[in-house]
Amino acid sequence: MDQSGRTPRIGVYICHCGLNIAATLDVEELRRFAETLPNVVVARDIQFTCSDAGQNTIKSDVAEHKLDAVVVAACSPRLHEPTFRRTITEAGLNQYMLEMANIREQCSWVHMDSPALATQKAKDLIAMAVAKAALLRPLETESVPVSRDVLVIGGGVAGISAALDLANAGLRVYLVERRPTIGGYMALLTDVFPTNDCSICVLAPKMAEVYANPMIKLMTYSEILAIEGTVGHFRVTGVTKPRYVDPSLCKGCINECSGACPVEVPNEYDFGLGKRKAIYMAIPQSVPLVACIDTNACIGCGLCAEACPADAVKYDQQAEEFKLDVGAIIVATGWQPFDASRKEEYGFGRYRDVVTTLQIERMLNAAGPTRGDIVRPSTGEIAKSIAFIQCVGSRDQTVGNPYCSRICCMSSLKNAQLIKERYPDADVAIHYIDIRAGGEGYEEFYIRAQRLGIRFIRGRVSSVEEGEDGLYVHYEDTLLGKTLMKRYDLVVLSTGLEANRDAEVVGSLLGLSRRPDRFFEIAHPKMRPVEAHIDGVFIAGCASGPKEIQVSIAQGSAAASKAMQLLFKGEIELDPTVAFVDREKCIGCKLCVDTCPSRAISVKDTAFVDEARCKGCGTCAAACPVDAIEMRLFSDEQILAQIRAATAVKGEYPFIVGFLCNWCSYAGADLAGTSRIQYPTNIRIIRVMCAGRVDPSFVLEALRRGADGVLIAGCRIGECHYVSGNLHALQRVEVLKGLLREIGIDPRRLKIAWCAASEGDILARKIEEFVDELKDLGPVGTELVAALPSGKD
Amino acid sequence: MDDAAFTDEVIRLAGDEIRTCIQCGTCSSSCSTAHLMDNSIRRLIRLVLEGRRDEALSSDSIWLCTSCLLCTVRCPRGIRPKAVVSALRQIYEREGLRNRDEAFERIFMDQIRNKGRISEVLLSAAYALRNPDATVPIMEMGIELITKGKVSLDPGTVKGMDEVRRIFEGLEND
Ligand SMILES: Cc1cc2nc3c(=O)[nH]c(=O)nc-3n(C[C@H](O)[C@H](O)[C@H](O)COP(=O)(O)OP(=O)(O)OC[C@H]3O[C@@H](n4cnc5c(N)ncnc54)[C@H](O)[C@@H]3O)c2cc1C
Ligand code: SF4
Ligand code: SF4
Repeated sequence: MDQSGRTPRIGVYICHCGLNIAATLDVEELRRFAETLPNVVVARDIQFTCSDAGQNTIKSDVAEHKLDAVVVAACSPRLHEPTFRRTITEAGLNQYMLEMANIREQCSWVHMDSPALATQKAKDLIAMAVAKAALLRPLETESVPVSRDVLVIGGGVAGISAALDLANAGLRVYLVERRPTIGGYMALLTDVFPTNDCSICVLAPKMAEVYANPMIKLMTYSEILAIEGTVGHFRVTGVTKPRYVDPSLCKGCINECSGACPVEVPNEYDFGLGKRKAIYMAIPQSVPLVACIDTNACIGCGLCAEACPADAVKYDQQAEEFKLDVGAIIVATGWQPFDASRKEEYGFGRYRDVVTTLQIERMLNAAGPTRGDIVRPSTGEIAKSIAFIQCVGSRDQTVGNPYCSRICCMSSLKNAQLIKERYPDADVAIHYIDIRAGGEGYEEFYIRAQRLGIRFIRGRVSSVEEGEDGLYVHYEDTLLGKTLMKRYDLVVLSTGLEANRDAEVVGSLLGLSRRPDRFFEIAHPKMRPVEAHIDGVFIAGCASGPKEIQVSIAQGSAAASKAMQLLFKGEIELDPTVAFVDREKCIGCKLCVDTCPSRAISVKDTAFVDEARCKGCGTCAAACPVDAIEMRLFSDEQILAQIRAATAVKGEYPFIVGFLCNWCSYAGADLAGTSRIQYPTNIRIIRVMCAGRVDPSFVLEALRRGADGVLIAGCRIGECHYVSGNLHALQRVEVLKGLLREIGIDPRRLKIAWCAASEGDILARKIEEFVDELKDLGPVGTELVAALPSGKD
Repeated sequence: MDDAAFTDEVIRLAGDEIRTCIQCGTCSSSCSTAHLMDNSIRRLIRLVLEGRRDEALSSDSIWLCTSCLLCTVRCPRGIRPKAVVSALRQIYEREGLRNRDEAFERIFMDQIRNKGRISEVLLSAAYALRNPDATVPIMEMGIELITKGKVSLDPGTVKGMDEVRRIFEGLEND
C-alpha cells in the first residue's frame, strides 16, 4: 500500500527482446503469471520494450490504468533503467516508481539449455520486482543553491593552473598558500625537462597573472584551520600569519631592509646551501613581492624598520583570521623531498660534498647560491667529476618507500646534461637501477644525454665513503658483473618525492584517504584521476603522487574543470537515494559513524546523515544495531519483500538467494550474460548498491524462508566503489557465520565472494561451486533435524 | 629435483621476496668478500630465480659469505640475500655435495693435534703447496689480512695440550 493507504496499481511489461529473451523463456506464460500477481492491473509482453512503440505502450497504460508503479522485465537495469525512468516521468510518474526484472543478462542468456527452469526463475524475478514495486515511494531530487566560489589549497604549479582556469571561466577563487610566495618547487628549479627551458621564466608570468587576476584572492603565508560543511557549502576558516611587513607599503626592494639586518640563517629556498637574512624575500620573483620577517631568526634590533624607505616594516602586525564559504575545494598541496640523511650509508649531512638533487638545482640556477657554478662545498672549487646516485629514498623498502618517484631519472638526466654542457670536460656519471623515461620526448632526452658523453652505470650504489682526496662510491656494475669503487669530487643524491607533511592537517580536516604510499588517494586509480572520495573535493598535482610539471598542470586544469561542472549552474541536485535516520529509534551508539566511507554521518544525541555527502551505499543501514538507519531506495522493507517473493515457491533445489553489489558483482553477472556463459538456474539475484548493504536480517530471513544458501558478492578487496563497503560485508559475514553455527545452521550455507565487473566467468563458476557444495549439505534444516530428534525448528 | 623445484625450494627457505629482486647489486657491492666470489651474491640470486641449480650450488660464493648481513640490511626490496646463501648451503649438504677436501682436512687436523689450534698462515701455505690453483684468490685476501694484523704468523700453542691429545686418542679409538 502506498502512503495514502490505497493499494498500488502496477503495470508489468515483459520484453521479448526479439528472440534474445523469447527464444529461451516462455514469454506468454510469464505474462499470464504476472497477471496473477498482487497489485498488478495490467501485464503485457512486448517485442522491444525499449523501442518508441514499447515506451508509448507503457505511457498510455500509465494514463489509462492509472498506474502507480511500473515493472519492466527485460534487460539489465544497468542498461535501460535510465531509459524507462524517463519513459515513466514523461507519463507523469515519479522516476523512482520503476523496478526492473533482469530476465535477459541474468536469465535467458545464461540458461539457454534449460528453458523450463529458466522460465520458473524468470517468474520468481518478476514476482520479486512486483513485490518491491509495491513498496516504492516517489523520491524528489532536491536542488540546492551552492556557492560558486572555489578554494585552492597550495600555490604550486598545479594550484596556480587550477586557479587561473577557474578565474578565467568567471569563478571566484581563493588561493591559499602557506609560504610567503606562490610557485612551489617549480619556482626553485633550474631549467626543466624535457625542453630544458628556464623554469622560473615560464612560471613567473603565471604567478604574476594570479596576482593580477581580479577573480583570484591570493592569500599567502596562510593556513587552513577548519573546514566544515559539504559540497556546495564548505565553510572554511583560515589564518594569515603576520609577515611584520605591510604588503600595501612594501616596494619589494628588499636590499634596503635585508642589507641592514645583522642576522644570517641558512636559506631554506636554497636547501641550506646559501644564507639569507631574518628579513627576506623567498626568491627574487616572489609573488607577492613583499618581504617577510622570520620570527625564529629575528633578534628585534629594529634596523630593518629604520632602513625601509617606505616605512613598511610593522612589528605589531597581527595574525588575521579569515572565513570563506566555497562550493568546492581543490587540494594542490604538493610534495616534500625525502630526507637524505636517513640513508646513512650515503653520508649526507656528514660529508660536505654529498649534496641532494634539489641543491644541485639551486647551484645550477643563475640566481642560486653559487650563481650557476657546480662546486664542491668543502673547497668551493669547481667539481670535475660528479656522480648522480638514483633512487635515494625511492624504490626502497628499508625506508618505507617502495614506490618509484617517477621524475628523478628525468631530473638527473637533465642536470647531468646541464653540467656537461657547462663543463664539457667534467666526468659525469649516473648510477641507476633502471632509467625510467616514459613520456613524450623523454626517451629522446635520454639519448641526448648518452650522446653528450654522460656515463650510465647500472647498479645501485651501496655506500659512499670520504677519502683524503674525494668521495668513494661503492657499487656493482651489474652489466659487467664487477664490484667496483670509484672516486668523485661531488656526489648528488637523487632524492625521491614524499607525501607532504604540511598537508596533513588539510587532509584530516577534509577526511581524505591516503594510499599506502601516504599520498592522497583519488576516487578511482584510473577513471577519476582528480576526484577525492569526498564530493566537491578534488586533488591535483603531486598531492596525489609524484609527477612532472606537465602532468601537474594538466591535473590542475582537470580539477578546475570538474569544479566548474559542479558549480557552474549555481545549484546542485542531491541524489535522493540516500540514507536517513529514524530519530526515535537511534540510540546514539555511533557505530555508523566509522562505517560510512563518505563521512556523511555525525552524531549529536542521535545520528544525522548529511544527504549531500551520502553516496547511498547503505553500509550504515546494515550496521545499525537497532535498525534506525533506513535507505530511501533499496530499503529494508523492499529487500525483505524481494526475499519473500523469491522464496515463495522454491521451484528448485538447491535454492540460492544472492545479494550482488551494483558496481562489480551485478555488473559481472551481466557480463556473464552478454558473454553467454552458462551456469545453473538455482540463484535468485537481488541487486544492492554495495555488499556492505546486506543486513544480517536479510540473510536470516532468506534461510528462514527456506533458501538452502545465501551468496553475497562484492567488488574485489581494494576495489569497492565505496572504498570499504566490502570489508564491512566481510566482517559481518564472519560474525554471522558464528551466529549460524550457534543456532545450528551450517555456516557454509552463507558464502561471500569477490568479483570484478570484468569477471563474469568467475561469478558463474562461484555459483556453480556453491550449488555443488549445497547439494552436499542437503536442504536447509537438514542439520537442525539431525541435531534435534524432535525434528522441530 | 628439476630446476623450477630448486627455485621453489630456495624461495621456501629464504622468503618469497626473492622473486622481486631488481638485480640492483646493492647486496654484492655491500659484500666484503664479493671480490673473491665467482658469482656475486646478486648473480647468485639470479641463478636461483632462473633455476640454474648446478651453477648456484657449485658456486664458491656460498662458502665465502661471512654472514655480516650488510646485504640483508640494505636490500631495497627487503630480500635477505644471506638467507639465500644459508638455503643453498643447506641444500648442498643435504644433497651430499659436501665439499670434502681430504688434503685440507689432514693438514687442518695435524695442526690441531700438534698445537691445539691452527695457524691460518701455515695452514694456507701447506694447503697452497698441494693445491696451487686455489692459491691466487686466497693470497690476495691473505696479504690484506696480514697487513691489517688480522692474522699472525705464529699463533703459539694452546694450554692443556694433554687434553687435546686425549681427545684425539679418544676419537681415533672410536
Ligand atoms: C630535483 C627535482 C627536479 C625536477 N625537475 C623537473 C623538471 O625538470 N621538469 C618537470 O616537469 N618536473 C620536474 N620536477 C617535478 C616538479 O617539481 C613537480 O612536478 C612540481 O613541483 C609539482 O607541483 P605541485 O604544484 O603539485 O607541488 P609543489 O610544487 O610542491 O607545490 C605545492 C604548494 O602547496 C603549498 N602547500 C603545501 N601544503 C599546504 C597547506 N597545508 N596549505 C597551503 N599551502 C600548502 C606548498 O607550500 C607549495 O607551494 C622536479 C622535481 C625535483 C625533485
Ligand atoms: S554509509 Fe553509505 S549510505 Fe550510509 S551515510 Fe554513508 S554513504 Fe550514505
Ligand atoms: S640488493 Fe636485493 S634487489 Fe638488489 S640485487 Fe641484491 S637481492 Fe636483488
